[in-house]
Formats: sequence, structure tokens, C-alpha cells
Amino acid sequence: MNIVELGSVCKTYPEFRLNNVSFSLEEGKITGFIGRNGAGKTTTIKAMLNLIHTDGGEISYFGIPLKGHETEIKQRIGYSTGTLSWYPRKKIREISDVSRSFYNRWDEDAYRRYITLFGIDENKKPIELSEGMKVKFNLLLALSHRAEVLILDEPTSGLDPFSRDELLELFRTLKEHGVTVFFSTHITSDLERCADNIVYISRGEIKADCSAENFLQNYGYTGESLEEVFLRLEREAK
Amino acid sequence: MNPLLRKEMRLSASILSYLFIVFGFMTLLPGYPILCGVFFITLGIFQSFQSAREANDIVFSALLPVAKHDVVKGKYQFSVLIELCGMMVMAILTLVRMTVFSGAGIYRQNALMNANPFFLGMALLIFGMFNMIFVGGFFRTAYKFSRPFVTYIIVCFLLICIAESLHHIPGLEALNAFGFDHIGLQLSLMLAGALLYVLMTVLSYNKACDDFEKIDL
Repeated sequence: MNIVELGSVCKTYPEFRLNNVSFSLEEGKITGFIGRNGAGKTTTIKAMLNLIHTDGGEISYFGIPLKGHETEIKQRIGYSTGTLSWYPRKKIREISDVSRSFYNRWDEDAYRRYITLFGIDENKKPIELSEGMKVKFNLLLALSHRAEVLILDEPTSGLDPFSRDELLELFRTLKEHGVTVFFSTHITSDLERCADNIVYISRGEIKADCSAENFLQNYGYTGESLEEVFLRLEREAK
Repeated sequence: MNPLLRKEMRLSASILSYLFIVFGFMTLLPGYPILCGVFFITLGIFQSFQSAREANDIVFSALLPVAKHDVVKGKYQFSVLIELCGMMVMAILTLVRMTVFSGAGIYRQNALMNANPFFLGMALLIFGMFNMIFVGGFFRTAYKFSRPFVTYIIVCFLLICIAESLHHIPGLEALNAFGFDHIGLQLSLMLAGALLYVLMTVLSYNKACDDFEKIDL
């Protein structure tokens, strides 16, 4: 069952156009969203979170259109990014305290569980955290309100190989708990390690939306690795 | 307390917004343009907008399960709260000057404005201007605040200069009333200031909601 659907989403900037972006996310699966820098990954994610106004197209979660149901949908989804941190000089305890009052499904037990699992010290401030811990802190907030869908923008960027592996392992654990994970990346090995499905975007257009297995079958030549396929596709697109 | 105001107070606010309420005590300064206290209180609110921008507060708020106009409401509620705290300090001290110190020579021999209900009306007018020019201006981009703040500074000091010197114009001496002199006129002017404050705040809030809705974050 598709839990998130994007249909013909368009957004035009003076220098860039997101062109008829359509894809869907399968419930309880990990979907990797890959594309080179500037391909439109962040713009698509911003559209999915209603942070930008699209020129056209439709976005729906759980069969409900985002337009007009934003508040209700945001209760059920979580967002995390590796590039932004919130309130860098406030204590994590304080940020969590304020955040919990917005969510009617906040699960204090889950919060305590993930705090321990991620090894987060509530008395620290985001400015004192490593990049990996910042991503985990954002994930902590998302998971504590029992988000059914996690939208993660470049969660592995800036992480060392060990932290990246740890995070990808966490995605697999979340999947086992029925959480749908959608993460953007430009690192192909991230996809190889955990993605069930791949959405490939190039120059603002979706070039592929299929299972990881089918992606290699449909777009790769014999013996080509995922990275080699992407590199060739990008070269051909020039 | 609603969650957004709580978020503003605990996460977005700069400590200076609370500390600068103390500038309301400038109401007691003799021989000083006491309306400047209002400017300093708004300067404290400005600091919160600055620190909120550095903390990615607007994007954080927009990702919360709230309507976009609620993000605007939170900022207005916080600004109004600080302004009303400042007004409370100024109103109490004005009452002290109107009663206990009504005959004090140090206040009587003052070329500038006296602390009276007209002063409070002007303070409300300046707070209203801050909400309209600065807070409303900020939400045109939810990022740039230099131009709205500079514009507000110019308007604010023009108003302060006018208000502090108006009573020197023949026929307007009653504006500088001491004690409970000309109390009918004084209270009417304060009420007019309050009405303008409400009007400017509500109108700019509605416009800010429309502007914020159109912004790409």
C-alpha cells in the first residue's frame, strides 16, 4: 500500500524547475531518494513538507491530501535533516519539553527508550553535538511522537563511515517496527545497504521509481555496480 | 498557556526581551525623554527575532503540527506580551508620578514630556508602530529584518520628538498635565492610543498571516 503519493508536482525557480515529479512510498519500506547536488531532492522534500508552494500537482499522505490537512498529517510524520540544527544553544531537554506539547501522540516511554538507544545527553546543547548526534536528536523528536513516515534530508551527509552504518542500521530497525523511511542521499552505498526502493531524480525530473532490484535490472549493464549505473546515467543526461 | 507562546518564550526568546522590560523604569527619569524607554523595550523584542532567526526557529515552527498562521500568531503573542509587561511597569510608575510625585519640582521643571495618560497613549502608539512596521515587515520574508527595523527606528524617534515637544505649541499645554489636571482629555488621548495599538496590531497580524502564507521557506 502506498502511504505517500506525489503526482505531477511542479515548482519553477528562475534557475531551476521541478518538473512533474511523481512517485509513491510503500508502507513499511525504506526508499532512497538519490540524485546529484542540485538535482531537486531538497526542493521535493520541502514540497512534501509544505515549506514551499508548488506551482501544480498533488501530494497526499495516508490517502489524505496535504493541502487542507497539514496539521493532521504533520502529527503523523517526522522530519530530520543533517544540514540544519534547531536552537543550537538551548538544552536538548528544553527543546524536547516544548516539542512534546505539540503532539497528541507523544510517547514518553519511546522518548526515554530512544534517548538511551541513541546515547543522547539531555543536558547537552545541539551546538555541542556531532553531526551524527544532531541527526539522531532530530530522529528522537520524530520517533517520540510515533511518526509513521520519516522524511530525512541527507541524514548521512557529513557522517563518518561508522556513524553512517549505525544510522542505516537504525533505519532497518525502524522498518521492522513498521515505520516508512524516505531519505535523500547522494551516496550510492547508502542505498545498497538498506534501500528497498529507489527514486532517482536528475535535473528536476524523476528518472526512476522502482525497487532497488529492478533498478539494477532496468538501468544497469551486467556487472555494473549501483554507483557505476548512476555515474553513467548522469553522464548520458549531459 | 498555548504551546506556541510557550515555544516563543522558552526557545525563541532572547533573555534581553525580558531584561529590557526594565527600561519601563525610565518613566521615573527626570529631564529625560521618557518615551525612549518604549524604544528600548522594542529593541529587546527585536533581539528575540534575531536569535530566533539564528536558531532556524521559523522552519522548526513551520514543521510543527500547526497551521502556518499560528507561527505568525506565536510571534505576535510574544511581542504583545512583552509590550504589555512594559506598559504595566510604565502605567504603575506614571500613576506614582501623578500622585506621590505630582508636586515634585524635579519633574515640574522639565522641558520634556511629563508622565501622564497622554504619555501612555503615545507609548501604545509606538508599540503599535513596532508591530506594524517591524513585526509585520519581518513576515514579508520571514528572514530579512534590517529594513523594517531601520524604518521603525526612524518612525519611532520622529514620534518621540513630536510627543516630547508637542506641549510647547501654544494651545497644547494640556498635553503636559500634572497630577489629575485635564484628566478627561488625558484619558481620551490614552484611549485613542490604545485603540490605535489594537488596530495596528490586528491589521498587521492579518497582513503578516497572508504574507507568510505566500513565502517559500
